[in-house]
Order: sequence, then structure tokens, then C-alpha cells
Amino acid sequence: MTSWPLASARPILVVTLALAGLVLSIALAASIGEMTIPLDVIAKTVGNRLFGTTHTLNRIQEGVVWDYRLSRAVVAACCGGALAVSGVILQALLRNPLAEPYVLGISAGASTGAVLVMIVGVGGGAVTLSGGAFAGALAAIGLVGLLALGSGGGSDRVLLAGVAGSQLFNAMTSFIVATAANAEQARGVLFWLLGNLGGVRWPDVWLALPVALIGFVVAMLHARALDAFAFGADAAAAMGVSVTRVRVVLFALTAAMTAAMVGIVGSIGFVGLVIPHAVRFLVGHRHARLLPAALVVGAVFLVLADILSRVLVAQQVLPVGVVTALFGAPAFALILFRARHAR
Amino acid sequence: MTLATQDVRWGVGGLPLVDGVTLAVEPGRTLGLIGPNGSGKSSLLRLMARLRRVSSGVITLEDRDIASLSRRTFARRVAFVEQQATTDAALTVQDVVRLGRTPHRGALSPWNAADAAAVDTALAQVGMADRRDRLWHSLSGGERQRALIARALAQCPSELLLDEPTNHLDIRHQLEILALVQRLPVTSVVALHDLNLAALFCDRLAALHQGRLVCVGTPEEVLTPEVIFHVFGVRASVERSPRDGRLQVHFLLG
Repeated sequence: MTSWPLASARPILVVTLALAGLVLSIALAASIGEMTIPLDVIAKTVGNRLFGTTHTLNRIQEGVVWDYRLSRAVVAACCGGALAVSGVILQALLRNPLAEPYVLGISAGASTGAVLVMIVGVGGGAVTLSGGAFAGALAAIGLVGLLALGSGGGSDRVLLAGVAGSQLFNAMTSFIVATAANAEQARGVLFWLLGNLGGVRWPDVWLALPVALIGFVVAMLHARALDAFAFGADAAAAMGVSVTRVRVVLFALTAAMTAAMVGIVGSIGFVGLVIPHAVRFLVGHRHARLLPAALVVGAVFLVLADILSRVLVAQQVLPVGVVTALFGAPAFALILFRARHAR
Repeated sequence: MTLATQDVRWGVGGLPLVDGVTLAVEPGRTLGLIGPNGSGKSSLLRLMARLRRVSSGVITLEDRDIASLSRRTFARRVAFVEQQATTDAALTVQDVVRLGRTPHRGALSPWNAADAAAVDTALAQVGMADRRDRLWHSLSGGERQRALIARALAQCPSELLLDEPTNHLDIRHQLEILALVQRLPVTSVVALHDLNLAALFCDRLAALHQGRLVCVGTPEEVLTPEVIFHVFGVRASVERSPRDGRLQVHFLLG
């Protein structure tokens, strides 16, 4: 009766295939661009940099692969994976299929923080754009958290508080852009708001990678608790889950993961909403399978979206959020349509 | 002694919903909670299931304050079946029942033979073993209720709390569910609306009115015209059935 294509497949096979897919997509991301670089050059570059091999390579090609494309692809993978895992967690905790990482006001807060740094000049140059976005995201989470607790703390209250917080911070962002920005700055803000992997370098990887992996491990430790939320918080509590502790830990976790990613690449929509649904369709509802699948599929999706954003329009890089939405929305529609027939 | 409440009070926004209830559940028997809407049946069950914290008074399990037990320890002893619980997740009956093993498993412990055996037993007890691969949203109301009871049984509890398990079921399913609960080798506390069903399936009854315990005893002691009028505000006559000697409540109009 169950109709998830991968639900009964051998886990070891699925994991191997998924990791192979991830490595391949990152290799493609390093290969494709204005200058196409053969895959063997990429393998040799990685060998030279990580494993001490001494292949002779074109220095420019090696530089492009290592300094720009690989760091960018790895951050895209971390970001996609973390957003998808956050989406899975929030949809389970809030029992709402529309929940996604930005529902807690995170992206709105981050955008306010970013424009304060970018346009108003808060911090006088000492605060980076990422730092401002991260601070803004934390401020929004704090405000939404207080609102949610003050109104009783149920999952619908968390969502409503998130909507209220998002509206407030979006209004503040618009206010700042409308009153203080020139045309050039407004364009920069728009690009950033739609997600921008352009400035990503290795130091960003050393933030994004640990955040994504630690977040994933903590989420996996709560996989059974998340399963128990299927029938609501009271049912979870009746089955021995410490509901308050689990909620606090996992909300804080998704907030930290999302804020870190938004700080690095801006707010990329749709990954946190769509990937969990797509993955559920593939592997079913058990979180011990769902979380790793979301991590990998989210990662591959965003790496591929980034490749498309660089090649779709010649001589121009699209904001990656535009690509995720352009391809995510029809894919989502297809999933909904097929899910209806699967019932 | 299993579950017992001593002068338990609880309310929402200054409104007392449970108002000084002292009640002891007898081991191995079925206790029915009766009373009109808002009389505090559900609230009392939720307090006993440790889903809400008492404002004052104490609830004990084997003479220990349940607030002093860890959630997991408590969930291995006491299981709770909510009224009208449902999910949007595409879970099979078996998936749902597996959730009942949550308090018995650590974050890293794999699914083991004891877990599988508990799930099989629970499915067999509710007669759903042949429908274990059915999806939740394809189940009828009665099947859902049985799956939820199986989930509770997979916790291997010694006490089972059920909040109006027969709500919205047709009469055949009502009878099936309550006969099932009565058969189970556990101590159960069941909130019920239907007085005739309560008389039929409960060993003892507790009548609640405006959060207070009006009386507790055998169905014969509790289901009197006086108690029914006091608690429900309805006139009734109570007779023994000539067929099987069971109590029958007839409601009088006008």
C-alpha cells in the first residue's frame, strides 16, 4: 500500500548513490562556467590541494576551480542541506506543511540587518554584511519567540508570531531602502535578498560546513521525537517526549542554522519548503530517513540551481533564489499532483 | 494502588476546571468518568496523563508523585489515547503503532525484537494485524481509534487512559471499542458520554459536575435518578434489563 519509491530500498545503496550524486554535482559546479574546465582538472586540483599530489596544472584553471567554484559549490551544498533539514524539523514541530525556515521571521530580520549595514552604514565598516544579517536574524527570532511565548506558545501561535515578525521587519527593510538608498544600492539589496553566492570563499565554508553537519547530527538525535509529533504535542508528551525541551532545542537549532546560512548567502527561498515535501514523497515520513535524505537532496538541489544561475543567461549571473523558485515551484506542483493520485 | 488523585485542582485563566478531586483507581479494573460537557472529565484525564501540571494537590502512581517521575519512565507505565487525534503524515497503521515504542528506545538504540514483538502483540490485541500496512487516511473512524489504542498498548502500559474513545463512532464500533478496552489486561480510566455504555463496560464509575467529584462507586451506586438529575439536569429512570440484568437508563421527557 505504501508508495514511496525508496522506502524499501537498501539504505547502504541509497546512501552511496546520494553521496555519489552530491560529489558529482559539486564536480559539475566546479567544471561549468564561463570557462569550462574538464573534470580531470578538478580531480587533480582537489588532489593537489587536499592530498598533496603534484599534478602539473594550468595555474589559472587551478585557481578558478579551487578559489572560486569549489568553495562556492560547497557552501551552496551546505546551505541547501541546512535549509532543507530546517524545513523538515519545522514542518514536524509545527505540524504545518507550509512551515519553512523563514516562517519564524528569520529572512526578514536578516534583510533588515543587511540593509542597515549596507545602506545606513551601521557599524561604520567594522560589521560585515554577513554579520549584520546574522544579527538581524537573531533579533527577529528573539522577537518572534517572545511574541509566541506571550500568546500561549501553541504551534499556530508560533506561525502567527512569525508572520507578524516578518511583516514588521520587511516593512523596516522597505522603509530604509525607500528613504535612504540610491538606485545602485537598491539593486544590490534586491540581489542580496534573492540569494547571492557570488562572494563566497573558503572562510565561508569553514562556517557553513560545521553548522550544517552539527545541525544535522543534532536533528538526527531527535528523529524519534520528531516522529512522535505526528499526532501533536500532547501525543508526543504522552509517549514520553519532553516536548518543551525538544521544542526549545530544535527551534534554536533551526534558527541558528538558517541565520548562519542567510548571513552568508542571503535568503534563498523555496528550498526549505519544497525539498522536505519532495523527499517525503521519496522515502516516506520516518525522520531517521527523512532528515539525511533532505540534507543530501537539498544540497544537490542548490548546487544544481547555482550552476543554472550562472549559465541560464549568457554573461550574467542570476540570483540563485530566482532559479530555486523558477524550478522549485513547478516541481512542487508536480509533487502535489502526483501525491493526489497516490492516495 | 495504581493512579490516585488527592484534592487535585487545575484551571485556565482563573476558571477552575478540576476543583478538588480525590479519586483512587482500582488495579486491573475499568473506571468510567461520566459528566456533562465541561464537567472536567477530559481535564482530569489530561492531568492524570501528566499532560498538564496540577495547580494544587497531588497525583500519585504507586504512591509516588507523578511529577517526580521522568516523562519516559511515566510513559512506560501510563498510556493515553486522545479524543479525535489525527495526522496529516502518510503513516501506515504499523508506523503509528511503532510510535508507541518511543519511551522504550534511546536516541541511538536500534529497533529490536522486543519492540517488534510489542507492536505485533498490540496489533493483535486490537484486531488490526491484517491491516498493518493500510495508510492512516484510508482508515475508518473505528479503525483509527483501534490503531491509536494499539499505539498506546505498544507502550506496554499498566494503566491506560482514554478520552471519549467512542466519540463519532457508530454503535457497533462503540461496542467493539469498549469491549476491547474491557478485555485488556490493564487498569483503564475511560471518559464516556453514554451512560448505558458506561454501565455496560465499567466496573466503577465516577460522576463529575463542574469540576467536582459528585460520587464514585459501582454503576448501581452511581447511576441513580438523583445523581443523573444533579449531574446532567435530566430526569431519568434506571431499571434492570429483564434480559440480562444489566442497568438501563431511560431518559424522561417533559
